[in-house]
Amino acid sequence: MTIQRLFVANRGEIAVRIIRAAHALGMETVLGASAADRNSLAASMAQRTVVVGAAEPARSYLDERLIVQAALGSGCDGLHPGYGFLSERSALARLCEENGIAFVGPRPDTIEALGDKLSARRIAQASGVPLVPGTPALASVDAACAAADDIGYPVVMKATAGGGGRGMFFAHGPADVRASFNKASEEARAAFGDGSLYIERFVENARHVEVQVFGDGEGRVLHFGERDCSIQRRYQKLIEEAPCTVMPDEIRAELHAAAVKLTSDLNYRNAGTVEFLYDTDRGEFYFIEVNARIQVEHPVSELISRRDLVAMQLRLAGGEPMTLQQSDIRLHGHAIECRVNAEDPDNDFRPNPGRITAFQTPDMDFVRLDTFCGEGAVIPPYYDSMIGKLIVYGNDRDEALQRMETAMHRFQLEGVTSNMELQHFIVAHDDFRNNQITTRWLEQTGLSAFANRQE
Amino acid sequence: MKDVTAEDLNALIRTFDESDWKELALQVEDFRIFISRDPNSAGAPWLASTSPPAPSPAGPPSAPPAPLAAAAGAPAVPAQDSAPPVPDNCVVVKAPNLGIFYRSPKPGAPPYVELEAEVDEDTEICLIEVMKLFTPVRAGIRGIVRQVCVEDGEMVEHDQPLFYVEPSA
Repeated sequence: MTIQRLFVANRGEIAVRIIRAAHALGMETVLGASAADRNSLAASMAQRTVVVGAAEPARSYLDERLIVQAALGSGCDGLHPGYGFLSERSALARLCEENGIAFVGPRPDTIEALGDKLSARRIAQASGVPLVPGTPALASVDAACAAADDIGYPVVMKATAGGGGRGMFFAHGPADVRASFNKASEEARAAFGDGSLYIERFVENARHVEVQVFGDGEGRVLHFGERDCSIQRRYQKLIEEAPCTVMPDEIRAELHAAAVKLTSDLNYRNAGTVEFLYDTDRGEFYFIEVNARIQVEHPVSELISRRDLVAMQLRLAGGEPMTLQQSDIRLHGHAIECRVNAEDPDNDFRPNPGRITAFQTPDMDFVRLDTFCGEGAVIPPYYDSMIGKLIVYGNDRDEALQRMETAMHRFQLEGVTSNMELQHFIVAHDDFRNNQITTRWLEQTGLSAFANRQE
Repeated sequence: MKDVTAEDLNALIRTFDESDWKELALQVEDFRIFISRDPNSAGAPWLASTSPPAPSPAGPPSAPPAPLAAAAGAPAVPAQDSAPPVPDNCVVVKAPNLGIFYRSPKPGAPPYVELEAEVDEDTEICLIEVMKLFTPVRAGIRGIVRQVCVEDGEMVEHDQPLFYVEPSA
């Protein structure tokens, strides 16, 4: 009872990736495209393309009813949501379920439980997965000082009733707490009508690490190692690598175990990612969230495990049992992915959609380019600006870095302004080469160094 | 006949005028001329085998979907591919989004509009269903329905032609 005909409810490179995996498994594919994507590479690969709606995402890719109607109308028995768009909207998974379409992803109730931040934290707590140490609401300055002593400075104080930085302050010692508590509480009361504050540990030197998991839906979960995605701007990842080489092996084993425990307690089904903040000073990790979908950066895990995660997704969703054992998954080497986006890092990352006039990809071994572009391709203005993902593999991080630099040199891209020069700058930077970065490195150090670069 | 002059044409028309021929069709190499006194003429003989070009105000909705390998539930190829040519001067009414096309408000009820019906901007002419949500489509133009492009109950894509309406003066 494998999937016979798969509906691909996405666009761009991930649509291409899914179609390729589906065809390799002998499935037929139907692409649900917006009017802007009817001539895309994915559309030329799929056996059929149905135009579901207008270019604006709300009238096409974000309307689960249109998507499921299109899947039903084109005779599909499976649906892959890709990432972004509707991939983590439980309504899509549920609508598929109700209409006899195999949804390639977790169960709707799992998506729902993990999609809500508070509920996800409760789930992590119940599984014994560490959260950033913090307190409930605090009544007084003295209580705050006592709690901060327990947690350990520096701490960040936040309003329980809201966000946006109001009522928030950093404290490096008790004097800071005493100086700011009452003022912050007043600010919170003015903004949210509730002046109560709580404390969280402030992680100064953090890495973003995440574990790729895959569950059979019946309590068995495999992991495919971790990824380090610390090069970020405004919480958008730019470079991802696997493994996280700054993490000691015993912590790594704990990290994997935590991710597997959390997801197997949920009887997690299909591919997912458990995200953590890794405090490099303390050597501790804290749960952030679970992404209940295949992620953009899945290829780096595929390269170090030599497993096709998208093919595994399609097979499991089609009802094939998961026969793979954890001992079958041997991680080796190092993989790095750079996201090539049509945005201008010299102009506040302004998106730069348009037509690609030259597209010469690096002809090299150990290089993978996941893209929907080629010469003449158009980056439409309606969606994210990703052109593709340049991914390299090496026996170790240094070899991978070397290959990435060479690959960037040989990647010729014209017609739209891209972030390639910035990516190249980061990969060549000593801090990155020496792996001495944090989640704030790009914003605090990297971008200003790039702005002052010698051309 | 590479060098046809105005004088040549004048001479030809004079000959036709002075004759009792109803029609004249002349083809020499790549030069073709057709003259007729008959207002109901079928046109030049070299046009007879090919239909007049269909109006395409917006072009086809998409590359016609390649038929999938025969399998249960294989969708039919949209009707507009085999539809007869459309009268000139018509305006196309297109599907606002993908969905199932229905000509009647309910099963068994008469269609919203029949062929040759007069419609105006606000006339509801069909329903598009998306997962049991039925949305009426309005003609958006005053005129006469000259062609229905889709079979009742068929799935239509975004921008697919549904009707051709000839605008009224």
